[in-house]
Amino acid sequence: MKKLRFIYYLSLFAILSQVITACNSCSKQGVDVTQDLYVPDSVIEVAPPQVSKAVTEQMMQNISSPVETAALIKGLKIPFNKNFLASTKQAEKFNTNFEKAFALGLYGCDLGYLNMYEKTSFVVDYISTIKRLADDIQVGQFFDFNTLKRLATNNENLDSLILISQQSFNRIDNYLAETNRSMLSAVIVAGVWVEGAYLSSRVAQISNHPRIRETIGEQKTILNFLLALLKVYDKDPSMAKLITDFENIKKIYDEVKITYEVGEPEMVEENGVLTFKQTDKQIIQMDDELYQRLIVGIQELRNNLLKL
Amino acid sequence: MGVTYFNKVNAQSEEELVQICTMVAGDAEYLKDFRIKLDAGDPPPVQRFPILLKKDIKYRFTVCNSKDYEGKVILQLFDNNRQLATTYIVATGKDYPYIDWVCTKTGAYHLVYSFRDGKAGLAVGLLSMVGTM
Repeated sequence: MKKLRFIYYLSLFAILSQVITACNSCSKQGVDVTQDLYVPDSVIEVAPPQVSKAVTEQMMQNISSPVETAALIKGLKIPFNKNFLASTKQAEKFNTNFEKAFALGLYGCDLGYLNMYEKTSFVVDYISTIKRLADDIQVGQFFDFNTLKRLATNNENLDSLILISQQSFNRIDNYLAETNRSMLSAVIVAGVWVEGAYLSSRVAQISNHPRIRETIGEQKTILNFLLALLKVYDKDPSMAKLITDFENIKKIYDEVKITYEVGEPEMVEENGVLTFKQTDKQIIQMDDELYQRLIVGIQELRNNLLKL
Repeated sequence: MGVTYFNKVNAQSEEELVQICTMVAGDAEYLKDFRIKLDAGDPPPVQRFPILLKKDIKYRFTVCNSKDYEGKVILQLFDNNRQLATTYIVATGKDYPYIDWVCTKTGAYHLVYSFRDGKAGLAVGLLSMVGTM
């Protein structure tokens, strides 16, 4: 038994060493795809995932996307609900750069939801708030407010509205990385994730669709990566506090069991478009009581951070 | 001297490549772009980007080469150590400007970009969303 445990910890050490030393995935000779981002449940239970700063910074933007969350909700034919969104009046309560960056992410997620449902009448209010927050943390020049306002006001080219919103956030992220302020990027991502999880939790209260249940459950995977990202900056007191808040919901998520069945991808070419279809399956196990605790936990986390 | 000036004026910027790639991606919603610049080498150098993909989303991966370089970019999508998809099918020798990926597992993946035959190149990769499943 002791020997088995020794081998297990040795393997764990080997995996984490690989993760920590995984280079910044910049130019490398030859393809070397290691397991630096693969964190199975069994490892998560023992130690939080440790991911190198460079790797986390690169995947930062993609950890939580307002477009994908909103598309999933809309795809389930869930009607738009303005009450799900954070009031822009709350923005006045955010004082520090850290808080403003968090709010920027949170309202950015709401903007994604509005854009996806083409609710342009509310968009101007949200982009005005986002612009103010972005200006306050000196990244306002990358948020293309005027174009977004014109598109929303004239109700024209809604695809461009999504494109420019998304590109604005990407440019903000790039600029923060270039100016050694990546921590604020991480905080923005945290804001996007919290609001996305919150929107899903509100939908979960009005829909029994199994996909929503799964969406709530699979946030465990995303949260683990997000926490790994935030912990890169855990020396900052504000970040340490945010991590503590996130750890509370993580404790509940630790009870969710996610397993996978591996399959071979299928390749189909139709009308010149090559499509690869993954056949892996993810299986999320949680009972109703745990599901409800997650919903409540997510909503408490979001409302506390929004200072409601 | 004049030639150098001419080349500078007409060189394709990464921003231009992003715009071209966005058009190539068609109706898919833009999510993120990746800038790839690699020197020649043997074995071919690669540029790797970690990403998180979500279940029940159909993604589109588009690649666009700079006309100023000889290299033709190849994208390979990996999970842990398995290649799941690619824009270049070796068996047929066919290159695709974009491929679609139907994701059934939320988690971490890797995008690995290289240039065919290890030539130097400049390219942009685009991640976009076709829709939900």
